[in-house]
Amino acid sequence: MADGLQTVKNWILERHPERDDIAPDLDLIENRLIDSLSFVEFVFLLEQESGTAIQMETLEVDSIRTLGAIEQHFFKAPAEVQA
Amino acid sequence: MPARPVAPPAGGLGWANLGMDIVSVNRVRRLLTQYGEKFFERMLTPGELADCRTADGLDVLSLCGRIAAKEAAFKTLRVRGRFLPWPDIVVRRSEGGWPLVELRGPAAEMARESGISEITVSISHDVDYAVAVAAPIIAPTPPVSTTPPVSTASPVSTAPPVSTAPPVSSTPIEQ
Repeated sequence: MADGLQTVKNWILERHPERDDIAPDLDLIENRLIDSLSFVEFVFLLEQESGTAIQMETLEVDSIRTLGAIEQHFFKAPAEVQA
Repeated sequence: MPARPVAPPAGGLGWANLGMDIVSVNRVRRLLTQYGEKFFERMLTPGELADCRTADGLDVLSLCGRIAAKEAAFKTLRVRGRFLPWPDIVVRRSEGGWPLVELRGPAAEMARESGISEITVSISHDVDYAVAVAAPIIAPTPPVSTTPPVSTASPVSTAPPVSTAPPVSSTPIEQ
């Protein structure tokens, strides 16, 4: 797991101490691990860790729905994404 | 059961989807301390921030109230797979002191799709929490014309049918 993605995972876990781990395919939205208010903070974190500017207005829910999707959209090198 | 209830036409018995939200003062205070005012510029318009400003800086309770009102208003729209379009649900303080909601851009479009013309909210707060409840105002739907369209003689004409029905009167959507 990329360092940035691990930081994202740790950030979520810190806010949900009842959880020991987060599976890559766990729905973060449906399981209320990210809500509307934390979403804004989460976007801040993603921008910081991925080095990518994120437009909240155009961000697709599915791109941050799971850790797997986050890895795919924000932490894969371009060559890996194309492969 | 429909997955996404849409408000019925106005003018008769029906229902409206209420929205409600609660925001922790501690949580917002932490965000303000950790990130500063810049964090809230992604959620509130300059006018909304001005409404929350006091001589000592941003008032946390006012911030919480605005955030709760936006979330409550968004909940009335009953949309799935979309994030709250924070800057497009604008909650301003009226001259009378009560909050007014203005829908812009994607939020206005979502409201249209849900049959909602406007949203009214009420905000309350006390020490640790702010709460807001929102109620949508159902958009009048255009009357269904029973007059058949007047067709032209040519069967291959692509011109739109001409209706003799009276013009549709509807309440414009606030934007």
